[in-house]
Amino acid sequence: MSNDILLQARDIKKSYYVGTPNELEILHGIDLDIKRGEFVSIVGQSGSGKSTLMNILGILDRQTSGKYILDGVDISKAPNKALSSLRNKHIGFVFQTYNLIARTDAIANVEMPMLYAGISEKKRRARAIELLEMVGMGERMHHTPDELSGGQKQRVAIARAMANDPDIILADEPTGALDSKTGRLVMDIFHELHEKQGKTIVLITHSNELAAETPRIITISDGNIISEKINDKEGVA
Amino acid sequence: MIKENCKLAIISIKANKMRAFLTMLGIIIGVCAVIAIMTVGNSMTADVKKQLESYGVQNITVYMNPIDYNAELSEADYQAMALKPETLHKLSEKFDGRISAISVEAQAGSGTVIKDSNKANVDINGVSAGYFKANNIKLINGNTFTEFDYSQGKNTAIVSNKFVEQLYGENFKPENLLGNEIEVNVNDEYMHLTVIGIYEFKQEGSMMRGNNKNISTTMYIPLKNAWNFTHDELIFDATVVAAEGEDAAALSTEIKEYLTTLLSSSLGDKFMVDAYSNQSMIEENTKTMNQMTMAISMIAAIALIVGGIGVMNIMTVSITERTREIGTRKALGAPDSMVMLQFISEAIIICLIGGVIGIVLGLVLGNVAVHFMGYTPHISFASIYLSVGFSMAIGVFFGYSPAKHAANMNPIDALRYE
Repeated sequence: MSNDILLQARDIKKSYYVGTPNELEILHGIDLDIKRGEFVSIVGQSGSGKSTLMNILGILDRQTSGKYILDGVDISKAPNKALSSLRNKHIGFVFQTYNLIARTDAIANVEMPMLYAGISEKKRRARAIELLEMVGMGERMHHTPDELSGGQKQRVAIARAMANDPDIILADEPTGALDSKTGRLVMDIFHELHEKQGKTIVLITHSNELAAETPRIITISDGNIISEKINDKEGVA
Repeated sequence: MIKENCKLAIISIKANKMRAFLTMLGIIIGVCAVIAIMTVGNSMTADVKKQLESYGVQNITVYMNPIDYNAELSEADYQAMALKPETLHKLSEKFDGRISAISVEAQAGSGTVIKDSNKANVDINGVSAGYFKANNIKLINGNTFTEFDYSQGKNTAIVSNKFVEQLYGENFKPENLLGNEIEVNVNDEYMHLTVIGIYEFKQEGSMMRGNNKNISTTMYIPLKNAWNFTHDELIFDATVVAAEGEDAAALSTEIKEYLTTLLSSSLGDKFMVDAYSNQSMIEENTKTMNQMTMAISMIAAIALIVGGIGVMNIMTVSITERTREIGTRKALGAPDSMVMLQFISEAIIICLIGGVIGIVLGLVLGNVAVHFMGYTPHISFASIYLSVGFSMAIGVFFGYSPAKHAANMNPIDALRYE
């Protein structure tokens, strides 16, 4: 595990309805460093601001103030156009609701980030097959999302997140919609990606149980980081 | 990238076949209307042009006109406006070698010929020597009138093969009629004419194609004979045939100038000489017909624009429906330009498919209409290219604003959209 800092957030604040009487500050100044190769969980109750934080870390949303540097790029100064390329090459998303593209088979879903990265069709296909086999979906590559179970969809989504070999995987409640058994399967894939491929993973969850599996646990409440813990005993993979 | 976008668009269209079809319907109807109208218009123009050309591109019509179109004309005025035979004679001498024929005709009314139980209707036309050349009428049997026939007003006639068929049936050889006398009833006055020639009847395509069997054909008699019959010897117009290689339009101007000078005393300030070539009439006619076709096509194009608005409507709905998909794509790193391209491609493909269906339907409809109107189908390829281009342009134009809206969505707002 190298020590270089992949993601650096300084005094991140996020407000809604800025400039109106009912301005609402969700994040009150988050400071956070995540090193390359870390597996971090961000835990908090719903409404704690953890999803807002993830959206900012994933450059889906811009912070109201503060500084966010991802892999040496200052996001607050980057133009809109550069953001899509940053998301494409540096970040892999795994959503609670999978967000696979409907009516499009698994392999095409996995190919999508590579398509936007301008990778040739042949290479895309080969990489998508490789990734789907890695998550155990090699058999169902040509099924569309509505022909897949929740766990299968999430595995396709993980394969998709890995498509451009991103620096960081942001997983927002990835097991939230799954039963414990399939949830376990998905968590195992994350552990494997972390341990075998050294991927940096940020897991956002409300479950202390899941968070306990990760080496570093950050607890967030009411828009502030209230505790941070290094887990000596790693998960039960 | 374009290929990928087309694939995505086709997937999306396939997923909503009915909706896509309803959207296309506007384009289909619009393109179909434009193509059908242009096909009919072009066929009509081509046919009329061909018909006019068959009257001879070298023909120049010469006549006199009152300068004031609304003037009440007296009997004496009509006398003054008639062309005198000596005028035509001088004309042919003046332009000797540049004119190959001068033709004058006079209607002598309509009549019927009865043979046993068969009946044939004829329009009787008195003609001068130049007529057959000017009107490009070829005899299949016998001869045209002789100088003697013309000068003496002999009771001879030239009839069509159709006329022979109507009277004697299909198996009768037309040449067997040559030299025989026929009796023509014109309003219960009888003409006794000897058939000396038979010309080939040509069916003229027209909207008012009557019953083929009882169709009235033209019977030709010497001009003088017609005059004797109608007791009217006024010539109101003459057809001058310009010699081969002669510029008919230029010659018509010269003829007009010559006759204006020649007839200056009788023209006074009341009448004028007019001479126009068939060629310029054909050109004018073609121009007018094209303008008409264009004008009607423009009206049909309104349907296309309405169809385009339908496409815009559907694209807006489709984008709202797929807001989360757009959010996901953006999260995966789709640049704004790609999102835009995807939806514009979809609009273009819908319009193109609609356009192609419209072209096929329009061609079928146009050709069926042309067939029933009795014209020769004449497909306008320009209109096809135009329609394809136009439907693509509609796709881009009406797809742009919804696509732009999709491209500009904030990824997180799109992802959260319920």
